Amino acid sequence: MSNLYAASRLHQIYMASKTFTFALVGNPNAGKSSIFNQLTGLRQKVGNFPGVTVDKKTGLMTLPNDGGDVRIVDLPGTYSLYPNSQDERVVLNILSNPNDESFPDAIIYIADLTNLERHLLLFSQLKDLNIPLVLGVGMMDIAAEQNVFLDKKILSEKLNVNVVGLNGRTGEGVAELKVELLKLIASKGTPQYKMFFQPNSIELKTAEEIRLRLPQADNIYRAILLAHHAPQLPFLTNFEKAQIRQVTESEKFESIRFQINETLQRFDKLQPILRLFFQKTTSNSANLTDKIDRIVTNSVAGPLIFFTILFIIFQSIFVFAEIPKEWIETIFTQTNVFLKAHLPQVWVTDLLTDGIIAGLSGVLVFIPQITILFFLITLLEEVGYMARTVYLFDRIMQKFGLNGRSIVALVSSGACAIPAIMSTRTISNWKERLITIMVSPLISCSARIPVYALLVGFVVPNEYWGIFNKQGLVFGALYLLGVVSALFAAFVFKLILKTNESTFLAIELPEYRLPHWKNVGLTVYEKIKSFVTEAGKVILIVSVVLWFLASFSPNSTAINQIQVDADRISVEKNWSETEKSDFISSKKLEVSYAGYFGKAIEPAIQPLGFDWKIGIALLSSFAAREVFVGTMATIYSIGSAGEDDSKSISERMKSELRPDGTPMYSTATALSLLIFYVFAMQCMSTLAVVKRETKSWKWPIIQFLFMGVMAYLGSLLVYNLFK
Amino acid sequence: MSHFETLDQFKDGEIGIIHKFTDDKMASKLLSMGVLPGKSLRLVRRVPFGGGLYIKVEECNIAVREAEAQHIVLEIF
Repeated sequence: MSNLYAASRLHQIYMASKTFTFALVGNPNAGKSSIFNQLTGLRQKVGNFPGVTVDKKTGLMTLPNDGGDVRIVDLPGTYSLYPNSQDERVVLNILSNPNDESFPDAIIYIADLTNLERHLLLFSQLKDLNIPLVLGVGMMDIAAEQNVFLDKKILSEKLNVNVVGLNGRTGEGVAELKVELLKLIASKGTPQYKMFFQPNSIELKTAEEIRLRLPQADNIYRAILLAHHAPQLPFLTNFEKAQIRQVTESEKFESIRFQINETLQRFDKLQPILRLFFQKTTSNSANLTDKIDRIVTNSVAGPLIFFTILFIIFQSIFVFAEIPKEWIETIFTQTNVFLKAHLPQVWVTDLLTDGIIAGLSGVLVFIPQITILFFLITLLEEVGYMARTVYLFDRIMQKFGLNGRSIVALVSSGACAIPAIMSTRTISNWKERLITIMVSPLISCSARIPVYALLVGFVVPNEYWGIFNKQGLVFGALYLLGVVSALFAAFVFKLILKTNESTFLAIELPEYRLPHWKNVGLTVYEKIKSFVTEAGKVILIVSVVLWFLASFSPNSTAINQIQVDADRISVEKNWSETEKSDFISSKKLEVSYAGYFGKAIEPAIQPLGFDWKIGIALLSSFAAREVFVGTMATIYSIGSAGEDDSKSISERMKSELRPDGTPMYSTATALSLLIFYVFAMQCMSTLAVVKRETKSWKWPIIQFLFMGVMAYLGSLLVYNLFK
Repeated sequence: MSHFETLDQFKDGEIGIIHKFTDDKMASKLLSMGVLPGKSLRLVRRVPFGGGLYIKVEECNIAVREAEAQHIVLEIF
């Protein structure tokens, strides 16, 4: 105990200078995130690794014996220090650069006992980097069912590391792990360690030459890694890269060949160690996973099960999200009614109610949908189902430049593109993920339904054609158009985008297991939090800007004239108070900045059959597409009828005439407008999320433009065909 | 008599011993996942029309593409 006390004292001294950092490293599916949650609880946050689109999870953990707080960084799961995807590259970038801000003081390595041989490959590489390590071995309960038991003593002796048995589910072994971490902190300055891997003469010579030139290559294995990866390493200067290239060329360093030999040599050394206690009983009897997969990955039953699951997810979003969504809307509407009644009628009140509170409501109404979708998707991920859909759909999705996992995002978009885009994080290939993000908003989301419902009546009457409702058929056709255009756009992006990242399928199909509810809960919580804080900011700002555009006029005399006109006409025509205030709202909108905007773009949208009034509605739809209906109501002076009363709006729209006396909303105009809403990117919330997920404004701008061009050309074509 | 075949020519349920890989990049990815020469590999099933292959290497289940399977050479006894 006195040793431990000394360790914690030492640590306290160390703490005064800098927070001690542990990195959590391991293969994918090793159970790292459970251990991370066990160690840090809710004291975690998600940030970004500089320059890449990979989430960086860090958390604080309190050590026993007054050891104070230490920082834990959860690095992405990877099989080796020879990365294949962007998230795997993060691990190499950090661990090959001792100057990196995330470079750990020590590593907690998590391995899975059921696949220990494979999991120890990366461990042995980290060992050769001479970073202090503790080895946590998990999945002991599952291994015990397969008659595999951990011999800590042998493993610890042979691998020269302290070993802890862990259970991420129950938290068993976590206290012991913390004690080991204290010991690691105390033993700062590890003794010179004999390398696990024995490099060949070329590798040794190359490493020596690199170490002469680069002081940060303080270790032979780190120098070998630099020789392998120099061109892709972001922390090296061009001069350093050139120097390394010079060495590798003159020494005839064969990167890929040496990499294969190194891997084989490591396994050759690991196998005899494991054989000491690991009795491999390759059973031919099918286990539970095999039995489930016989059905779930069957080429006929598999897709059927998948679409059934998607149908249930889709239904849950529509059914269960609707009620809390209405609560949120009601709370905000009632708050606004209350505030308007009790606050003085000045523009600040309007800014608060129609700008800020309306904007907040626009952010928060998405929460029920996002929560349900993420809960279900995280659940499927946790039990191990998602990898199966990748296997089943990879081939079809590949044809469109997408990944097997893209299908989940595409179908989620039928509810809302925001959670769909956030769910693409499971796609490791950057190009495939980007294409999925770019095309998901083309799938018709739930916000388009009110718009479709209002306009479809102008295209076909509510009649039956055989057993089919004609309006229903048009609805179906619009959805189909969305799906087809998304796949078409994906195909075009596939041809345009270039990537150096090689695409692999080679994916592990993990054993099915019961979900770990704490993991599911924390993941869902994390995603909602990042949506509200990051996308929420942009949505709020744009709402306030839109409010400003619709509320203020550059022409103050016109505003005064409206009041005078309203007083005069209301007496002449014997209007009620409501009719008068509707008239005022409509005229005010006409002379507002938004009105001027509508008139300014009228020449551009006239070829599509739209006038300036539709122009205003297009602008205001930016807050959310369904706002179209409300804006139509205000423009046509029936604002008090409310957004839900689409019947009276449609009556009013029917009587609207063009200057030449023909109906404004002819079949051609309505169809053109529908096509516009199928294609156009009119959702700032989605754009904000795309910005967040791609870490740049480039992609949301490209998305806005290409969808805009599709909308414009589509509407132009349709209007001229039906005119 | 044993003979060699690439994985894409396998029938469902067929078992072979991994002999070598004919593409180095592929090899390095598969090796790091524990797919090693000398281990036994079983093709469990595949998605029809050139889709993915579901394989079992010892106790570990892995899915690969057909293009990847063409580079895995196995010995059949």
